[in-house]
Amino acid sequence: MSAPEALLAFILLASLLLQAALPSRRLVVVTTGAALAALASALLGTATAPQLLADVPWDVIVILVSLGLLTQLFVESRVFGVLAVWATRWSQAQPRRVLVLFAVGMYVVSGLVNNLTALLLVLPILLILFKLLGVRQRYVSWTLALVLVACNLGGAATPIGDFPAILLLGRGAMSFEMYLVRALPTTLVALIVLLVLVMMGVRPERQLQQHPISARLTLATMGALYRNVRVEKGKLLPAAGWLGVMLIAWVVVPLESGVTADLVAWLGAAGALVMVGTLGERIIRAHVDVEATFFLLSLFVMVGAVKRSGLFTHVASWLQGLPIPPLAQLCVFLVAAGLLTGLFSAGPSMAALLEVAERLAVQHPPEAVYVGLALSVCAGSSLFLTAATAGPLAQALTERADLRDPDGAVIRFGFLEFLPAGLMSFCVIQCVALAWGTWASL
Amino acid sequence: MTALPEGLEQSFTVAAGELGMACAAWLFVENVAREAGDAGVGALRDALGRPFPVLDAVAAQWLAGARALNTDPSRLLAAVEGSAGLVVVGLEAFFLDVLVARLPPDTRCALLCHSPFDVDWERVLSNYGGRVEPVNLESFQAWAGPRSVLLTFAYGVGGHSANVLPAWVRATGEDVRTQFRALMAWDVLPAPMFVYPRWLVEVDAASFTHLFQA
Repeated sequence: MSAPEALLAFILLASLLLQAALPSRRLVVVTTGAALAALASALLGTATAPQLLADVPWDVIVILVSLGLLTQLFVESRVFGVLAVWATRWSQAQPRRVLVLFAVGMYVVSGLVNNLTALLLVLPILLILFKLLGVRQRYVSWTLALVLVACNLGGAATPIGDFPAILLLGRGAMSFEMYLVRALPTTLVALIVLLVLVMMGVRPERQLQQHPISARLTLATMGALYRNVRVEKGKLLPAAGWLGVMLIAWVVVPLESGVTADLVAWLGAAGALVMVGTLGERIIRAHVDVEATFFLLSLFVMVGAVKRSGLFTHVASWLQGLPIPPLAQLCVFLVAAGLLTGLFSAGPSMAALLEVAERLAVQHPPEAVYVGLALSVCAGSSLFLTAATAGPLAQALTERADLRDPDGAVIRFGFLEFLPAGLMSFCVIQCVALAWGTWASL
Repeated sequence: MTALPEGLEQSFTVAAGELGMACAAWLFVENVAREAGDAGVGALRDALGRPFPVLDAVAAQWLAGARALNTDPSRLLAAVEGSAGLVVVGLEAFFLDVLVARLPPDTRCALLCHSPFDVDWERVLSNYGGRVEPVNLESFQAWAGPRSVLLTFAYGVGGHSANVLPAWVRATGEDVRTQFRALMAWDVLPAPMFVYPRWLVEVDAASFTHLFQA
């Protein structure tokens, strides 16, 4: 390993570890890391700052910001609150059904909007349900964990659900429909296997006292809390309509036309926001996710600096030089991707590993590598609470809700409470990723 | 004795926060009665009556034969006629629903977002489709004026005193009283309290310019 490779890899790894250890200062950490990476690149002669900035995949950032703005319009329409209340009604306030419906619901929602927004909209309703149902620690731990994992799986199911898939779409590594028809069924299989294992094996609701009065009061109270809440069609229709147009455009418009995925997202979000008048202006001014945008920008600069040092090429060459069959090399890569994501979280891992994946995609069918990688990143995101995109948010919201069990004991949702479900989810999703990679390579 | 589910206290605080103590109490009493009859209501009173005196009083009313909440706002509406603004301190959702639905369109309505319980105020307000605006203890005086009215909900008015939420006392200091045309109370619990009125404070009934019985 050359000196530039070692130094730039150190800056990247140190920044990633530090931001994971200090989430409250992660923007300062990655911004400083990016500045140091640019300085080191310039002094070592591997790249200048303008070159690193030119390497930033701006199309990915455009897609993320555009989808975030469109998501905010969905939020304003109150559609998610109404859907959550329907889910409560369908569940009949039965804890088993609540778990399944909210997990499946979260999978669907997070396929269309970003994970943080999906969780921010659905989790408060689920926490209210927990309070009304009178639940216990075990049930809360498994239900919240499964909802988070479903969120990760939903994000990986579509090319617009979460950052890793958006990166594939933005880079043109896979077309929209090519990714969708492969990732959707595989993530769905993982979700079903996971739900069956939990419902049949773990049975989180086992210790709960299920009382008809409790179910009746829960349904009556939820109905009363949302008694007059209606979907605002004036906001929902432009958002849904333009999202539909974007989905069609992503599928039917050829890349050679110059109308790329990022341009489709940009035009779609602009179209929807124009249709809602002053609300559109308000959304743009107040709801651009500056934190995520700045985090990704810094990340891309650091990864770009490492890439220009030649390290990723060497890693890919090392992997391809391993004295094992090519399929085994792919499996090693996928498992490593899962474990690294567990440590560094999805965004950083995907940004770095994609550089290696591009080399492997020459040797293997691209869909085997890219979809396998997206699934492995999803497995890693589900391993620890800190690795899940929305994990810290779920922890904070649960703590703030001050949930208590029927004996008055505080119910927690932290690293240890998530771990059993995280380990099970990692194993299931990683196995699906390996099975997919193997099957698609044959 | 009828067995009730565990953890009802926590679920009642959810309802009391976003519906109001009287409305939540009626919701709980009605639904427990449907499932377990008067015996269930008695058990509910035993279990939650002491921590929630409004529920205790509502359960007592139920057991004495009362079967419906009277939310008719006619007399109150007559009193606020001609007002440009109505600031509501405290929340009783079913009462506020009918009041807001019948308020003249040119009367603006605000709700003081302050509660002894955890409340998702955005959810509370989303039930009013933009008709009710949020205010807090720092900002509600911007609504003051000769055509503005302050309204609160009273619980168990008896003799010369009435029980109200502590927020009312904080909001209606001497400096504020003169800034509003009227300080009204809507008694949503026309029944005596049998236990110490936790969550509430006692005020002089004469401190209201109008006091309406439900």
